[in-house]
Amino acid sequence: MKYALKRILMLVLTMVIVSFLTFLAFELISGDPAEAKLGTEATPERLAALRHEMGLDRPFPVRYVSWLAGFVSGDLGTSYNYDMPVWELIAPKLEVTLCLCLLSFVLITAVSIPLAIWSYRWTGTAFDAVRTAFNQLCMAVPPFFTGILMSYFFGIVMRLFIPGDFPDLRTDFGEAVTHLFFAAICLGIPRAAMTVRMMRSTVIGEMQKAYVRTAISRGNDRRGVLTRHVLKNSLTSAVTFLGQTMAELIGGSVVVEQVFGIPGLGRLLVYSISNRDYPVVETLVVILAFWVVLAGTLADLINQRIDPRLRLGGAV
Amino acid sequence: MLEIRDLHVKFHNRDREAVAGISLTIGDGEIVGLVGESGSGKSVTAMSIAGLLPRKQCDLSGDILLDGEDLLHAPRSALRQIHGRKIGVVFQEPMSAMDPLMKVGEQVGEVLRIHTRMSKEERRARVLEVLQAVELSDPEAVYDKYPHELSGGMLQRAMIAAAIVIHPTLLLLDEPTTALDVTIQAQILELLKKLNAEWGISMLFISHNLNVVRKLCRRVAVMQRGELVEAGSTDQVFFRPQHPYTKRLIEAIPTRHGKETL
Repeated sequence: MKYALKRILMLVLTMVIVSFLTFLAFELISGDPAEAKLGTEATPERLAALRHEMGLDRPFPVRYVSWLAGFVSGDLGTSYNYDMPVWELIAPKLEVTLCLCLLSFVLITAVSIPLAIWSYRWTGTAFDAVRTAFNQLCMAVPPFFTGILMSYFFGIVMRLFIPGDFPDLRTDFGEAVTHLFFAAICLGIPRAAMTVRMMRSTVIGEMQKAYVRTAISRGNDRRGVLTRHVLKNSLTSAVTFLGQTMAELIGGSVVVEQVFGIPGLGRLLVYSISNRDYPVVETLVVILAFWVVLAGTLADLINQRIDPRLRLGGAV
Repeated sequence: MLEIRDLHVKFHNRDREAVAGISLTIGDGEIVGLVGESGSGKSVTAMSIAGLLPRKQCDLSGDILLDGEDLLHAPRSALRQIHGRKIGVVFQEPMSAMDPLMKVGEQVGEVLRIHTRMSKEERRARVLEVLQAVELSDPEAVYDKYPHELSGGMLQRAMIAAAIVIHPTLLLLDEPTTALDVTIQAQILELLKKLNAEWGISMLFISHNLNVVRKLCRRVAVMQRGELVEAGSTDQVFFRPQHPYTKRLIEAIPTRHGKETL
């Protein structure tokens, strides 16, 4: 219980700090949302009037506290650019991005763990060099590049989806998921390759440990050693790594969404930053921080289930 | 019961043979001590009996026969039938020799899971029985503990329980008391004596500590640089050592009055 409280406190603190830093960053860089809205031709009087209306003439700490108070009470503010409530603007895009990231995450997990075991079994054979090279290639190829290839191949040539024309997630769920599926693959390939590599070397490391020798001395065959002992012992580092992956996917999704023309958070974030749309950016940043901390916390909790030695500190 | 004939082991990445032609027999119900300093090849000998050497990385020759059955050249699948069932092994560091993520009871019962068709309940009952036999108080509690929750001495008792749970004919003990403190050491030796007497399990006890060997074994063999330099009854080796290396080993035993005679 103590542990859970600590994690929740950490989560809240992280979100507050991140939101403050974002506010501060906007304060330090040049740019004016009022000017961005009215254009450079606007008269100084109109600018001043709009700035007053938007509350931008107040000092920085006051603005931050008033934003924070609004956020806590559930009022995320109104977008400067779209003149609509931030939540209404973000919610549908958040759905799309979450779908993309979760799909990618599931693919990464489902593919990389069996592949890691399989590639471990090939260690020391001639195939090993080919496998290593392929693994390196997968890690190195950037998602936007595979994204372009995939859009061309599966989109334009095979017509499995229409690049740039993303169906509505609620009405055409099946088609939307097909569209997301290819984006999720592009997003996932490098991380999956890293997971395979990491997991494989963990398994190799575990195989050297003394308990493996004990397991063999009891009459376990190779499979028994792997499934009964080594995999469980390798799992904690895989879970930690996948937790980081989950956190990083949302960042990677920005680029992939651009390539596939997916209306997710990525585009909105880029657009809102360049137009100084504070209320939108603040909310997005807090959501991202929440996501990152949540991924880490989940990984920790799962690891505690796996490894009793990790339970010591918090389970009082 | 166990017969080693002219065993040679050479690792590919070493120039010198780790074991250079040793012969050794262990009779039914006998405890034989194998002593020598680190690197003398005593552990490698035990590992080749247990079939735990990486075959691809070393050359093996000679014979190891357990009740007439070849252990050195048998295929892996045949060896797996012998591992655990006929030969139990206890290693030096119980803490690292146990799987940290598996409950102690399950590890003790692992041999039963592999080699018998016992149900889960039968296995549990048998494990509790053996935990009792190795003098662990409160076997029920120990069963559900993880290795890090037990002390080194308790864990080594559990390791012994795991090695004898199916009543093997031979128990290989590779420095089983080295990582333990002296009082626990003495208790483990008593336990081994008891198991030898009551269960009739033959044992090969490997140690660099002559004092420990003297307390436990009727017969002892001394190894140096892969060779067997001396073998015989414990009394004979201790009181009338023939080989200069053995003499030096015995002189190196710390005594209470500096030069106490044995």
